[in-house]
Amino acid sequence: MTRDTSPFRYLLVQALDLARAQLLLFVVVSAGLAGVIWKIFGDDVGRAFDAADMVGALLAGTLLIAILMAAGGVAGTDIKQGYYRALFSKPMAPWWFYLQRWLLGGLVVLTIPVWLGLAFAVAFGKGTGLSAEVFGVVALSYLLIGGAVLLFSTLTSRDWLVAFLLYFLQARLHDAEQIFTALSRDVPAAMALALKVLPPFDLVSARAPLPSGGDLAHVLLYGAGMVAAALLLLRFRPLGSGGRA
Amino acid sequence: MIRFAQAGKTYRSLVRRREITALAGLDLEIARGEVVGIAGPNGAGKSTLISLLLGFLAPSEGSVTLEGLAPRRYVERHGVGYLTELVNLPGQWRVQDALHRLAILAGVPAAARRGRVADTMARLGIEEHATKKIKQLSKGNLQRVGLGQALLGEFDLVVLDEPTHGLDPVWTARFRDIVVELRRPDRAILIASHNLDELEMLADRVAILDHGRLQRVVGHATEASDASVSWRLVLEGDDDIGAAMPGAVPIAGRPGSWRVLAPRAAMSRQLAALLQSGAILVECVPEQGRLASAFREAVRQ
Repeated sequence: MTRDTSPFRYLLVQALDLARAQLLLFVVVSAGLAGVIWKIFGDDVGRAFDAADMVGALLAGTLLIAILMAAGGVAGTDIKQGYYRALFSKPMAPWWFYLQRWLLGGLVVLTIPVWLGLAFAVAFGKGTGLSAEVFGVVALSYLLIGGAVLLFSTLTSRDWLVAFLLYFLQARLHDAEQIFTALSRDVPAAMALALKVLPPFDLVSARAPLPSGGDLAHVLLYGAGMVAAALLLLRFRPLGSGGRA
Repeated sequence: MIRFAQAGKTYRSLVRRREITALAGLDLEIARGEVVGIAGPNGAGKSTLISLLLGFLAPSEGSVTLEGLAPRRYVERHGVGYLTELVNLPGQWRVQDALHRLAILAGVPAAARRGRVADTMARLGIEEHATKKIKQLSKGNLQRVGLGQALLGEFDLVVLDEPTHGLDPVWTARFRDIVVELRRPDRAILIASHNLDELEMLADRVAILDHGRLQRVVGHATEASDASVSWRLVLEGDDDIGAAMPGAVPIAGRPGSWRVLAPRAAMSRQLAALLQSGAILVECVPEQGRLASAFREAVRQ
């Protein structure tokens, strides 16, 4: 039998899985959010805010959850439940399988501003508010948060929860650092060290401009580093490690 | 094709540093064309051996190679038909969809995929469950789906871990036919099972594991020692079998029945003499299969 050896042969299945679950949910939630705001505030919202502000504000409130949903459980569930035994006795490398799944998750998350923008354009007739910057923020957020989820996914099925706690911890530490700075007091060494070590989640926000220069490099390198570490673990750490066979 | 060289696996707990040796010093080679059984009591190391073979675990000592490649490398390049001991597939997948997905992963070409899935479902009698979710299947049907997905890819190595677990007698017999059909000169088949009769029927050789160590390999050339095989003889006639066959013990409540524990050659000679003197042989069967006897001996060691 000639074998289909295309490394992309399972891509469509993964894409359809994401479309049936996460993508559909994101479309429905985006439309629902626009509908609820229109129902409560009517045209006042359209008069008071432009579409870009609205999309930015809603992204800021929903992006973290959306990324956790799109990237969560990518590898962790298969490893914990033992599904990996059927999947990876086939001629397919786990690191490649999960990289494709993770990238598709990123594409789905990148469509969120589109659905939000379209929903607001329909509801308020003030355009979609979409810009390259909005997509840049979403992509960088996915790289950082989604990268953390992928990395934890190689170790636990509660990847999304660990990533969320890490995000929360970093945000609170960053808040505290700002308070210390505002009071002109030295930031405690342990806190400063923790902020250096933890992913720089604070540098990317839908409410702030896209990071640039050193901040952008920090985000890109940290995010890419987490993804690379996850792929190395998937490549070299046997999937049955950590428990009895 | 497969080579375990002094392969071993020791599990270490992170906190207490406790060590459990699941497999130690395993030397075993399996060639293409062979059907090899792995037998052993619970916890003997069978599942660990299979996990090492598929690269789901890394050996703590020694090496495992398939066609000279590290296991993961081999599996990712060629694939293995693998039935897990407990079939684990996402519960929300439907049977036909699950097999279709796994056929894609197995590399079945798009043009042949639908037909291959349909043939596999027909071969394993699961067409009527095609639209059921995996989580709705009975144990036996789930086992058949697991076996089906292992057979999708026409792989050169097939590994079946407790393949008849949960199957009814009809499908247990059917499974044996399937293994016979699977035999090919260029394919190695490994079957781990508690069912010694099944292994005796299907396997060319059986490796017996106990306490993580290979105790012996029983094959056509190295069968259980003759003396360990107990035969049940039923004869009609007046001859004093006990006198003619040293070691023969009458079976209580069964007149004319004797249990004999003797080397095969000696027993044959004595039996021939008895038959020549007019005794009629009614029954002569080994009370245990050779493998069962060898297993008993090996595990006792």
